[in-house]
Amino acid sequence: MAQPLVKKDDDRDDEAEYSPFLGIEKGAVLQEARVFNDPQLDPRRCSQVITKLLYLLNQGDSFTKVEATEVFFSVTKLFQSKDLGLRRMVYLIIKELSPSADEVIIVTSSLMKDMNSKTDMYRANAIRVLCRITDGTLLTQIERYLKQAIVDKNPVVASAALVSGIHLLQTNPEIVKRWSNEVQEAVQSRAALVQFHALALLQQIRQNDRLAVSKLVTSLTRGTVRSPLAQCLLIRYTSQVIRESNTQTGDRPFYDFLESCLRHKAEMVIFEAARAITELSGVTSRELTPAITVLQLFLSSSKPVLRFAAVRTLNKVALTHPMAVTNCNIDMESLISDQNRSIATLAITTLLKTGNESSVDRLMKQITNFMSDIADEFKIVVVEAIRSLCLKFPLKYRSLMNFLSNILREEGGFEYKKAIVDSIVILIRDIPEAKESGLLHLCEFIEDCEFTYLSTQILHFLGIEGPKTTDPSKYIRYIYNRVHLENATVRAASVSTLAKFGAMVDALKPRIFVLLRRCIFDSDDEVRDRATLYLNTLGGDGEVVETDKDVKIFLFGDLDIPLVNLETSLKNYEPSEEPFDIDSVPKEVKSQPLVEKKAPGKKPAGLGAPPAGPPSTVDAYERLLSSIPEFSNFGKLFKSSSPVELTEAETEYAVNVVKHIFDRHVVFQYNCINTIPEQLLENVSVIVDASEAEDFTEVTSKPVRSLPYDTPGQTFVAFEKPDGITAVGKFSNMLRFIVKEVDPSTGEAEEDGVEDEYQLEDLEVVAADYMMKVGVSNFRNAWESMGEDFERVDEYGLGPRESLAEAVSAVINLLGMQPCEGTEAVATNSRSHTCLLSGVFLGNVRVLVRLQFGIEGSRDVAMKLAVRSEDEAVGDAIHEIVSCS
Amino acid sequence: MLLAVLISNSEGNILIERFNGVPAEERSHWRSFLVKLGADNLKGSRNEELFVASHKSVYVVYTVIGDVYLYVVGKDEYDELALAEVIFIITASIRDVCQKPPSERLFLDKYGRICLCLDEIVWKGVLENTEKERINRLIRLKPPTNI
Repeated sequence: MAQPLVKKDDDRDDEAEYSPFLGIEKGAVLQEARVFNDPQLDPRRCSQVITKLLYLLNQGDSFTKVEATEVFFSVTKLFQSKDLGLRRMVYLIIKELSPSADEVIIVTSSLMKDMNSKTDMYRANAIRVLCRITDGTLLTQIERYLKQAIVDKNPVVASAALVSGIHLLQTNPEIVKRWSNEVQEAVQSRAALVQFHALALLQQIRQNDRLAVSKLVTSLTRGTVRSPLAQCLLIRYTSQVIRESNTQTGDRPFYDFLESCLRHKAEMVIFEAARAITELSGVTSRELTPAITVLQLFLSSSKPVLRFAAVRTLNKVALTHPMAVTNCNIDMESLISDQNRSIATLAITTLLKTGNESSVDRLMKQITNFMSDIADEFKIVVVEAIRSLCLKFPLKYRSLMNFLSNILREEGGFEYKKAIVDSIVILIRDIPEAKESGLLHLCEFIEDCEFTYLSTQILHFLGIEGPKTTDPSKYIRYIYNRVHLENATVRAASVSTLAKFGAMVDALKPRIFVLLRRCIFDSDDEVRDRATLYLNTLGGDGEVVETDKDVKIFLFGDLDIPLVNLETSLKNYEPSEEPFDIDSVPKEVKSQPLVEKKAPGKKPAGLGAPPAGPPSTVDAYERLLSSIPEFSNFGKLFKSSSPVELTEAETEYAVNVVKHIFDRHVVFQYNCINTIPEQLLENVSVIVDASEAEDFTEVTSKPVRSLPYDTPGQTFVAFEKPDGITAVGKFSNMLRFIVKEVDPSTGEAEEDGVEDEYQLEDLEVVAADYMMKVGVSNFRNAWESMGEDFERVDEYGLGPRESLAEAVSAVINLLGMQPCEGTEAVATNSRSHTCLLSGVFLGNVRVLVRLQFGIEGSRDVAMKLAVRSEDEAVGDAIHEIVSCS
Repeated sequence: MLLAVLISNSEGNILIERFNGVPAEERSHWRSFLVKLGADNLKGSRNEELFVASHKSVYVVYTVIGDVYLYVVGKDEYDELALAEVIFIITASIRDVCQKPPSERLFLDKYGRICLCLDEIVWKGVLENTEKERINRLIRLKPPTNI
C-alpha cells in the first residue's frame, strides 16, 4: 500500500486547523445518538450526530449488529420531526445502516406513509430508501405506487422510481418486467434525465428480446432524445442491433444515424458515435473516414479526457486498420510529450503499430527519452509494442534489439524485466540474424540479474539455443560464472545448461566435464546431484564419446505431461513395492480462463514455461470412479469432460453431467442439486433413452439414495461401446425420484413420498470427447519427429461460412484438439489461414493436425487436412470425423 | 456501472468512499491503487484539471479541488467521458456547498451536506442527477425549480 490509510485524525498535530471530527470515537458517537430518543428533538443536534455516524461509516468503522440495530431504531424516531434538512439526513443514514440492521421492517410503515405523501420530495426519497431495503413480498405490496411514480409528473420522483427499477431488476426481475408500459411512457418524457433512466431500464427489461430492442432503437433514432447521456445509450443499443442484424450485403442499417451523431453538439455523443463506427464488424474505409476525422480533432483538444478517449480508440483501430490511422500520426507524435502518461503511452503504442519502416529510428529516439519518466506498467506496454514492430519489420532488428538491451540494463521491476527478456527471446526465435546478438544481451543481463526466475529461464534458453550457434564456447564463461556467484537454484540451472552444451558440442565436452566435476563439491544437494547425473549420462568418467540419442532426448526432450498433473500424481503416490509410473499421470491440460482472455493473435510468452494450471480434477474423478465397484473393471479412465448443464439456471433441480470416457465404456456422472428447501428427494436416478445412440448399450446405473436440499449428489449411468470406435450419439435424460415434503420448522421429512419425474436437456457424445487437448511447445519439431509414415492428407469443401475465423473455430471444436502457437486466431480480412493442432486420441495415441483454410469471394471455405499420428487408424478416424460432419 | 467514488486528502487519507459492485476484498487494493495514482500525478496540478487512466476495461478519472483529491472509477457505459461528466458535477457541487475550492477543514465542516450531494448524484452505481442547482435544492428536500 502506498500510503497508510489511517483515520484522518490519528496523525493530526496541527491544532490550529483541527478537524471537526478530531478524536471522534465510535462509542462516544453511539452515546450521542441517544439524542434521537429525546421527546423534544433538536434537529440541528440530530443532524450533527448523523454526520458523525456517516463519517465513521465512511472511514471503514463497522458497527456490530446490536449497535447498528440500536441506532437504526433510534433513527426511525426522527420521522416525528418535520424539519426538512433532518428528514433528508434520516433517509441517507437509513440507507447506509440498513444492510447491517436486522429490523428494517419497522421503518417500512413510516416510509410507506412518506411514499404516499403530497410532498414530492418525500415521495422520491421514500421510494429510494424502500427499494434499498425491500424484499420480494414488500415489493409486491408497493408495486402499484412504484408504477405510478414512474409516470409521475415530477421528474425527481420518476427518476427515483426508474433507478430503483434498474436495481430491483437484479433481484426481482419478474416484477420489474411488469412495468414495461409505464417505462415505455417515461422514455417519451420531456425531462432529460427521466428519459435517460427510462431508456436504460427499458433496454434491460427487453434485452433478451432482439425484436423489441430493434423496435425501440428504430423509434428512438427517428425521434428526439433530449439528454446526451441517453443519446450515448441509444448509440450503444444501436450498435448492438447492427451487430445482431448481421447484414452481409447492401447498406448497413442505422449507419446514417451513427454518422449523424458525429455532428451532435455534445462531445460525449460524438465520441460514442465515432467509437461505435470503428467497432462495426467488417467496417469499410469509407465508413471509417468520418469517425477517424472527428477522433483526430479530439487528439488536439484541450481536455485530457477527450485526448485520452480519442487516442485509446485510435489505438484499437490501428490493430485492424493501421492505414486508416496514419493520417493522425502527426497529431499523435505531439502527444508523446503529453503530461498525462497514459495518453503518451497510448500515442506511442499506436504509432508503433501504424508507423512504417522508415520512421522506426526516429520513433525509437523519441521513445528513449520518454521511457525514463513513466511507470513500469506503461513501459511493459511499450516493450510489447516494440516486439510486434520488430516482428513486422525484421530488417530493423538491430536498432530495436539495441533498444531492448539498453532498457534491460536500467532499473525496473520483475514484470518489466520479464517483458523485455520475453521480447528478446521471441525475436531470437523468429529472426535468425538476431540470435547471436540477442543471446549475448541475455548473457550480459544474467551477470547482474536480481531475479532468480529470469536467470534460470535464460539459462534454460541458452542451453537450447547456445550450442547451435557458430561459436558456442563464448557463452560458457557467462554460464559458469553463475555457478560461483549465484544462489542454489541458479547454480543448479547453470549445471543443466553446461550439460546441454556438453551433449551437443563434442569439441567442448572435455572442458565441460572439468567444470561439471567442480560442481560435485557444491554445498547444495540439488547442484551436486545434477552434476553427478550429467557426468554419468554424458560419460564423463571415461573417454569422450558421441552423445547417444537417449541422452539427448533426456536432456532436450519435452516433458509432455503438465507439471501440475505430475505434482498431484506424485503427492498421491504412496511408497510401496510398485515404483511410480510416469505413464499413469494424466496428460489432459485443463482449460484455463486466463488463456481465453488473451487477445487473439497474441504471441505466446517467450521464455515462460506453460503457465501452471489449476489443480487437476482428473484425479478427483479417477478416485471417485474407482471407489465404485460397478466401474472397477472398466480399466483406466482416458478422459473426463467438463460439466455440461442439463437444466436452466434457477430451476427447481440443478443437474449437470460429466462424461467419463474409458476404452470400452462411457460413464455419465449426473451431478444433482435439489434447490427446494421444502423437499427431500430419494432414490434419485436418471433414465436415459439411447435410441439415438445405436452403438451404446446401457450396462449399469447407480442412483442417489437421498438428496436433501442444497446438498450435491451424484447418480451414474454406464454404457458399453465397441472398442476402438469413436461412437457418437444423442441421449435424452429424465430425472426420476421420490419426493417427500419437509416441514421447514423441524426439518423433518414426511414418511410417504410421491414418485415424480423431471425432464432434462439432451446430452451428446461427440468425436471430440475421445480426444485430449495436449499441446506441444514446438509444433514443427513435433511434426517432423512424428514422420510421414502415417500421414493422411485430404481436401474438404466446408461450404459457405460466416467468416474464415468461424470455420477455423468450428473445426477446432469438432476435433477437440489443442491449438498450438496461437494459430487458432485468424487475422481480420485474411483469405487464408493455417492452424496447427495437437492432441492425444483414445488409446493414448499422439495426433498432430495441420489445417490449411482458404475462403473465396462467395464465402465458400475449402480446407486441406493433414494428420500425422503414431497409429494409421487414428489418422483415418480424424478424417472420418471431418467427412461425417 | 460506476464502481467507485473516492475522496481523499492530499496525503492519501480517505475522507469519503463509495464502492458499488466491488467485492469487499478488492476494495483496499483499489483504494491504494487510486491513492498512488493521485500521489504520482495530482501534486501541483491545477484545480479541477482532469486526469484519466484505464486499466483493462475499467476507467479512472481523477482531479484535485482545493485540498482534496477526487477519483471516480467506472466501466461499461461509464467510460472516461461519462466519468468526466460525473466528476464535473461532483466538483461543482462541492464548490457550491463550500462556496470555494475547499481546504480539508472546510470539506470536513461541510461533510454532511457533501454526503447528501453524493447521494443525489450517484445511487448504487448509477448516475442520478447532473445539475448542481437541482442537487442543491434536493439535499434540502426542496423540489427542483424547473418543474
